[in-house]
Amino acid sequence: MHTETDDDLVKRIASGDRLAMKVLFSRHQVRVYRFALRLVRDETMAEDVISDVFMDLWRQADRFEARASVATWLLAITRNKAYSLLRKRREAGLDDDFAESIEDEADDPEIVLQKQDKGLAIRACLDKLSVEHREVIDLVYYHESSVEEAARIVGIPENTVKTRLFHARKKLGELLKTAGIDRGWP
Amino acid sequence: MTDTIANDPQRAAIEELLPFYANGRISAADKAKVETALAGDPELAMRLEIIREDMAETTLLNESLGAPSPRALDRLMAQIEAEPRQVPLLMRARGGALTWLGQLLAAQPPRRLAYASVAALALVAIQGAALTGFALRGGAGGGFQTASVPGTQASERYVLLSFKADAKAGDIAAFFKRYDASVVDGPRANGAFKVRVGDASLTPAQVDAIAARMKAEGEIVGFVAPAP
Repeated sequence: MHTETDDDLVKRIASGDRLAMKVLFSRHQVRVYRFALRLVRDETMAEDVISDVFMDLWRQADRFEARASVATWLLAITRNKAYSLLRKRREAGLDDDFAESIEDEADDPEIVLQKQDKGLAIRACLDKLSVEHREVIDLVYYHESSVEEAARIVGIPENTVKTRLFHARKKLGELLKTAGIDRGWP
Repeated sequence: MTDTIANDPQRAAIEELLPFYANGRISAADKAKVETALAGDPELAMRLEIIREDMAETTLLNESLGAPSPRALDRLMAQIEAEPRQVPLLMRARGGALTWLGQLLAAQPPRRLAYASVAALALVAIQGAALTGFALRGGAGGGFQTASVPGTQASERYVLLSFKADAKAGDIAAFFKRYDASVVDGPRANGAFKVRVGDASLTPAQVDAIAARMKAEGEIVGFVAPAP
């Protein structure tokens, strides 16, 4: 069966094809939603981000340059929209209350460890990373981005992607160590 | 504990490639380098195991986030329906009227094109007969008018617009680039600029649509309206 590529769909979208928009949305909505949700940590806000991202795609499809994949392009827009929302939330003074609610929701890694589940402890520590570390971990470990793609999405040089990822991994190891899990590094 | 890998630049460079080796997004040359290093370096191999463990948990964590509600698509499509659609119009303007006409004709089935051709020929014949009759009847003393008298069309299409006081220069420059627009006059006393948005192939409806699209950029644009 012939499956239309993302690039083909974007060309159709540029000429106003709503059906192509629905297909592309269905193909990428989960990826965009999860990336946004990991950054903004609020389901309603993450859905707002999705709408904004795909509206941008609708408006700018004729300006898409095939140098990057559509998925990379969408994740880069998602990141910008998510950070913009986070900035607004911070400026409105809502961030402290929000951070506290996140702390309440996430199980403490030490408590999780007492429950004897190493996987759960790692996931709890992943949630405790800073937003910059979370995004680079998610991009490489979950979205399977290459160095070049991660650099394009985050807007930093490729070497910075590697060093940031190194520090994120190190921080994760330190958090686990504090929670009582020593994996030999760091 | 001393990090012996971090203290050895060559091993540290390989170590930084491990996450990309693990996710399969690495060049063939780097992959070969990593595999050679891993074969003789148990400490590096242990780091790779940690990365694979974290990768599996990151995947589980993300998969547990679920998916957006079905309403997300409905909401998006409603927004799209409410959005004035300018992109194809701009594309037409950029490609020119002949390009647009060519695309339109190419999209028609042959039988329809044949009927249209016959109809067009008939129309040309009728117009020819009418013009000949007009020339014979009113040719004497009719005089002539230049093409620039009242009723003529401008060769460019414009809008009048003002920017928000806090709009950034970079955003304004990007705005002009996005619309392929340029300032032809201003700022006027009220801060408004006359901006060219296209050539005469744009219809008034298309200019209206462009103005509406510009107006939607509320963070940059204060006021915008089609201008003569």
